[in-house]
Amino acid sequence: MKTLGLIIVGLVGAVLVSATVNFPPFGDPESPASLHVSPRYLEKTLEETAVPNAVTSVLADYRGFDTMFETTVIFCAGVACFLLLRVPRRRLPRPRQYRHRLTGLTFRIKEGGEVFLPLREFEPVDSIWTPHDFIIEKVCRYLIPFIQLFGLYVIAHGHHSPGGGFQGGVILGASIILLSVSHSLRTALKRMGEKISALFSPVGVFIFAGTGVLCLGLGYRFLDYQALATLLPVGPIMARSYGILLVEVGVGMAVMGTMVWIFKNLASRGRYDEGL
Amino acid sequence: MVIDLIVIFCLAVGLIFFAGGTLGLLRFPDFYSRLHPAGKLDTMGSFLILLGSAIHQLFPLTLSTVLSGLKLMLIVVFVFLASPTATHAIVDAGFRAGLEPWKKGDPRR
Repeated sequence: MKTLGLIIVGLVGAVLVSATVNFPPFGDPESPASLHVSPRYLEKTLEETAVPNAVTSVLADYRGFDTMFETTVIFCAGVACFLLLRVPRRRLPRPRQYRHRLTGLTFRIKEGGEVFLPLREFEPVDSIWTPHDFIIEKVCRYLIPFIQLFGLYVIAHGHHSPGGGFQGGVILGASIILLSVSHSLRTALKRMGEKISALFSPVGVFIFAGTGVLCLGLGYRFLDYQALATLLPVGPIMARSYGILLVEVGVGMAVMGTMVWIFKNLASRGRYDEGL
Repeated sequence: MVIDLIVIFCLAVGLIFFAGGTLGLLRFPDFYSRLHPAGKLDTMGSFLILLGSAIHQLFPLTLSTVLSGLKLMLIVVFVFLASPTATHAIVDAGFRAGLEPWKKGDPRR
């Protein structure tokens, strides 16, 4: 079986390598892609969509279908991780620990035990001792707002500079993951719970697809943002720019929600109680 | 002219710091001592190089050049916060995992 697999992998690899020989050389100005498609986009982007960054306009406008289904793929990945890893809540509560804040005494409650502790005086602690470093916690606490601000900037400024929904969403999601790594999963869950992160990814896809359906409903083609000119007080060219921004917000929400969702499922082994 | 000299000085010293950091990363004997140049010299090198670029694009003095100079200095602030913290976290993890520091006479690790 192993040798068979090796032979198949070798054959496929050989086919791929032989196919690369037939590619046009890197940066060849005579290749079909550089002759017709790229100059068309590069020359017409600014007059047609009022977006200086050609990458953004190609991704979100000219090839909006592609990006929409990329976002859907991300959403599917989040759902797949959820279905594989999430453990349904058991009827009996798991054994858990509480620490008395003033004295530092730790109580362990057995499986299925129910105790009503005044939560102002007790805090839940992880079953495995996890380090809490003062320096790391404080620095991350003060850096995270700036990281999130930068993420929002990247999403909103994709028209003019490198960036856009995918990159900004990753930065926003990473800020929540940093909170979870530097403090604890419980802190991150307090800031952004399971439901919110699981809601963000379908809502992002919905915003993207909903923009397309809105254009359809206004009598234009799917994802033809010129239709938004009938709703907004701008011309059809600026309407395409605004449509791209709307779509980028959807992409950012989907990416952020999915990243945080997958991370929480992986880090807590699907139980959402503790981890890292 | 004087500005150019200051800029060249900043960039050259920054590059010396970076070179020292890389040399230390390659040549020091163990985990902890290798993190020492990675945390300190790279921070100082990036500070000097960003300072040099900020001074270089500051003239002619207008609002936009001042603003971009401030942005470059903002990068310095964040590098100064984040880089030593990251090094601290890595060293902490190594110490908690039970890695013994290198002593004189031990072989390189």
